[in-house]
Amino acid sequence: MSRKKLAHKLTGMNITITCKKAVEYISKKEEAKLSVLQRIQLWRHLAICSLCRRFAQQNRTMNDMFKMPGQQHRLTDDEKKEIIESVLGKN
Amino acid sequence: MTNFNAETYGMTQTNNQDVFSSWVNDHSDVLYYYAIKRGLSDQDAKDFVQETFLSAWRGFDNYREQSSVRTWLVAILRNKITDHFRKAINKVSVQSLGSEYNDHAFFDEYDHWKEGMHPKQWSVDLTNPAEVNDFRRIFTNCTAKLKQVQNIVFIMKYVDDLESEQICKELGITSSNYWVILHRAKVQLRACLEKNWLTN
Repeated sequence: MSRKKLAHKLTGMNITITCKKAVEYISKKEEAKLSVLQRIQLWRHLAICSLCRRFAQQNRTMNDMFKMPGQQHRLTDDEKKEIIESVLGKN
Repeated sequence: MTNFNAETYGMTQTNNQDVFSSWVNDHSDVLYYYAIKRGLSDQDAKDFVQETFLSAWRGFDNYREQSSVRTWLVAILRNKITDHFRKAINKVSVQSLGSEYNDHAFFDEYDHWKEGMHPKQWSVDLTNPAEVNDFRRIFTNCTAKLKQVQNIVFIMKYVDDLESEQICKELGITSSNYWVILHRAKVQLRACLEKNWLTN
């Protein structure tokens, strides 16, 4: 879209969004599924809304926690033996 | 097992069994950990690991060393788990997932954050191991409250790094199902984390 066309479009549109919408866009942004207009709307909202900024930051923290490896889980030697016997026995 | 002249190739049934046993000893821990990380219960995880090795034994001849043994085994396990979740989703209405999430619970009539539901400052220092452990414990408890189906969507997205289209395809859900599950669960999860972290 040309710059003029975009400017014309923005003039006629409401580029203020609500918190509920902003929070949705924060999720969608992770997969680059926002249009240029939506990105502008979100950027503007975050500039003035500290609550949603907090939500965005906490969202990133949660994402990081999902990726963190947890404590090691292991099977006992007996459990491994049981698997071997169970599988080979069935053949 | 295919029929081939074992003596010609110097291989015997016993050698195959030895190889298989070493696979169990070398890789069962990793498979078990993988299954647990998918959100399965302890017993389910163990059952899936056993099923994986059973499939591997039955398909022993199919393993042609095109990839490492571990990669092959994990692929078998992963397919079984994905099937499991796909069937679970078919049984439950996707709309009912995240039904505890009610727009009105979090947002007021102007769609702004409701009084009492405002996100608060967490100040978790993720470089401090003690704090990370505390937070992780709470995180584990809160994700345990998510339904298994919501949890697997998170795992596929953040741990496997899959695109939404692929997640939808594997689980047999629509794109809008996916967004509803993900978004609602995030908002709920955040609220649960905050409640437990700040009162800790």
